[in-house]
Amino acid sequence: MNELRKYTWIAWTSARSSWAYFGDAIGRVIFFSIILYIFLRLWTTTFTQTGATHLGGLSITQMLWYLTITEAIMLSGPKVSTLIDEDVRTGTIAVQLLRPMSYAYYRLAMTLGERTIRFLVNLVTGCAIAFLLVGQLPMVGFGMLTLCATLPLAFILDFLGLFLVGLSAFWLEDTSGLLLLYSRGVLIAGGTLIPLDLYPSAVRPILSWLPFANITAGPAHVFVSPLPQDLAMILCRQITGTLVLGAIAFVIYKQALRRVFVNGG
Amino acid sequence: MKKLINWLQLAAAYVKLNFRSHLEYRGAFISQVVAMAVNDSCWIVFWTLFFTRFPVLHGWTQKDVLTMWAISASGFGLAVTVAGNTFQLARVVGRGELDSWLLYPRAVLPHLALGRMVPSGLGDAIFGYVLFFAFVRPDWQHMLLFLVFSLSSALLFIGFFAIAGSLSFFIGNAEVLAEQWIFSLITFSTYPSPLFDGVVKILLFTIIPAGFVSYLPIDALQGLSLKYASLSVLGSAAFLAIGVSVFYLGLRRYESGNLIGMRG
Repeated sequence: MNELRKYTWIAWTSARSSWAYFGDAIGRVIFFSIILYIFLRLWTTTFTQTGATHLGGLSITQMLWYLTITEAIMLSGPKVSTLIDEDVRTGTIAVQLLRPMSYAYYRLAMTLGERTIRFLVNLVTGCAIAFLLVGQLPMVGFGMLTLCATLPLAFILDFLGLFLVGLSAFWLEDTSGLLLLYSRGVLIAGGTLIPLDLYPSAVRPILSWLPFANITAGPAHVFVSPLPQDLAMILCRQITGTLVLGAIAFVIYKQALRRVFVNGG
Repeated sequence: MKKLINWLQLAAAYVKLNFRSHLEYRGAFISQVVAMAVNDSCWIVFWTLFFTRFPVLHGWTQKDVLTMWAISASGFGLAVTVAGNTFQLARVVGRGELDSWLLYPRAVLPHLALGRMVPSGLGDAIFGYVLFFAFVRPDWQHMLLFLVFSLSSALLFIGFFAIAGSLSFFIGNAEVLAEQWIFSLITFSTYPSPLFDGVVKILLFTIIPAGFVSYLPIDALQGLSLKYASLSVLGSAAFLAIGVSVFYLGLRRYESGNLIGMRG
């Protein structure tokens, strides 16, 4: 119980710290708004041009709210892998390991705290833009509940992916390339820009079980179409993904710690 | 003419120096170049998926979007590979790190701009050229125009980075604002122009000049129009001139950070 309180406090401190840098938040909101505006234009044009009422099972209103949520999640991610990379390269990780807490859980708590604030800022901005452009989403109350149910595991899954990227600093000269590839994985394979239902049917089942899709597309899907069976399926995939990725992260973390050498003096 | 050759020689010397410096960390350099090219390819995957479902977007086909990406990526890549310091000018000015550049015998801006290479930019540039020549498969006229546009876009990016970075001279630390402004230009440069109209279209030829980077060049390439080609090149030259003027105007307000540092 004490352990949980400790990490909750770290997350809370991280959230407060994130809130303090309001200028940074505004800067990110500008970029988020631009990206959202462009995608809203792209899909509005596509719906108008094709004359379709539904694309990939989503109406234009659902599609635009779907993109709002995927982009809000995608652009709320803190630079945790860069911080881990720095800790490894500067040797700070050796000092962190001396603290009476797990380094991995410490980073997780910090990430969740910061990300919650960033996501809320994005969500409020995104909702305002989507509401102005396409109006309210039907069953938005249920949608919010299902979104809240899937977000914690989505954030944890993303953290695990970024944690692995950061840990690769133990073996690689530079991790920025790997980070770029990971983020593009979330963008393309995660259904952030195009709902997975619009992908070729051959790749859809594979993509839906990958962690990427359960970080952005899964929560966004149950937000715009809050059906109990879909929620259960997304949660099932998220739990499976967390267990698998968590096990991989555990093994890699143990291997990485063997490469930490501390020379006293 | 002799002066121009002189400046080009200086630029070539800097590029060579920066390149060799990055090759000291060969693994990191290559991984950044490859990762950026793969990153750009992901966007091509997105557009391929999109155009597979919806073949035409307001008159634009997949080929037009590939050309737009090729011009933007090659222009941006060339700009940050050759003049990488302009990309982070706001930080350099905001932190008062300009002092060492003020000691050079020639004009400040060229030395400062050429003094750093962004390695991932090389990935963008290579990606842009490969994309155009391998996938668009142009005839010699389109090829020539494309080369002109990739160079003019690079000049526009350098000018725009100078404007955005110079904000720090006027409002203090403008790092976040300059970054967002620059990302706005990059973002708008990679989406088809027919998506935007009204006020946004005006903005795309003024505050966020993506229109000169990729929209006018696409119009010029579609109809082999010299009028649009000239407008695009003139627009880029104008933004470069504005960038240089704003930088020197701001330089008068520069306050040293009194930092002690070493540059190899």
